Amino acid sequence: MSVNAPRTIDEYLKQLRSALAGEDAALIQDALYDAEEYLRAEVASHPQRSEADVLELIASTYGAPEEVAAAYRDTEAKVKAALRPPAPPATAQRSGIQRFFAVFMDARAYTSLFYMLLTLATGMVYFTFVITGLALSAGFAILVIGIPFFLAFIGIARVIALGEGRLLEATTGERMPRRPVHPGAPVGWLRRIGEMLKDVRTWTTLLYLLLMLPVGILYFMVAVTALSVGLAFAVTPLLVVAQRLGLLSQATVLSEDMRIGDMPLAHHSLLSALLLGVLGVLIITLLMHVARGVARGHARLAKALLVEPGG
Amino acid sequence: MDDSDGQARKFQKDLNAGLVALVLLAVLARSAEDLYGYEIAKRLQRANQGDALFKEGTIYPVLRAMAAAGLLTSRVVPSYAGPARRYYRITDEGRATLSQWSDIWRQTRRFVDRFIEGTDP
Repeated sequence: MSVNAPRTIDEYLKQLRSALAGEDAALIQDALYDAEEYLRAEVASHPQRSEADVLELIASTYGAPEEVAAAYRDTEAKVKAALRPPAPPATAQRSGIQRFFAVFMDARAYTSLFYMLLTLATGMVYFTFVITGLALSAGFAILVIGIPFFLAFIGIARVIALGEGRLLEATTGERMPRRPVHPGAPVGWLRRIGEMLKDVRTWTTLLYLLLMLPVGILYFMVAVTALSVGLAFAVTPLLVVAQRLGLLSQATVLSEDMRIGDMPLAHHSLLSALLLGVLGVLIITLLMHVARGVARGHARLAKALLVEPGG
Repeated sequence: MDDSDGQARKFQKDLNAGLVALVLLAVLARSAEDLYGYEIAKRLQRANQGDALFKEGTIYPVLRAMAAAGLLTSRVVPSYAGPARRYYRITDEGRATLSQWSDIWRQTRRFVDRFIEGTDP
């Protein structure tokens, strides 16, 4: 362990990163972030000592990279087990129908549906942000303010990516980073811009934010269409019964104007209304399944584009 | 000698698994202001005489886990010394958990002591 004990913060972080190799990229990002907070604070609080001197003692205070890596691994395993919202209770010995409707008991299905509806709004904001940012960056490139503007633009894009990740983890349970990417040791602006331009993730992040508009439109359309059709069908039997019982008075607009198919509601037989109701419930249930699947797939896409691949 | 050292370390590590969380909750419950990871680590270091009972690096993942479980809340504050700091504060749920865990701890300690001190017939 003391063979190549880290002499600088960067070395320590590098060793920690390799000790965590193979772990979830989001976990690695968090662990590096925490370590950096501690190490920089420790170095700053001992101004009379050199970074190398401080780092020498780190193994006995903060812990050697391998020990720290092990702590994250253990905790992550426990947290994962404890925090996962329980999967819908034992689906194994249930009939297909029960399993089909069990989706209503799954909190993730509702959050996923909410996410699908939300993507239209977030997609528009992201898309506008990226297009405006890129255009202005290109325009400002020849001016002095071009450099800080571009840095700020990419910085905000990263914050948005982090927020999007948190949102997706909340809705789908896919592990996403809980800390932003650390920009690394302070270097000159030009070098930092060079690194940003070389970093594949800068471009995949922008690509993801752009993609969110078409994807968001699609999600929103599917969700709204299925919801409105499904709900309308599902309440049809109630409306027909209510009308038969005279609860919907003739004075209300509902009577003749409310049509299902070509027929005014009033002319529907109870049986056909009931069938429509069943169809509506089926559509909504199907939508819940689709939402859950879409959100899960989308989280994977987001992880591939927003989170540093591999570590 | 190496072997008994290793066993002692392992025993300490197993003990710490639950106790670190309890200690962190207690530290945050007693603190008037919000604390960030490094500050908490240093408080524990000051309170501890002799060899460190646990590595300070191990408290960070526990803090994050407790925040995720709703026992703590956190906010990020930019810092000059490095990356932004995450300040933690205990929640009401955290306080309830702390008092429950403290009871378990006291009960466990009494139980273990009875045998170690030989007061149990």
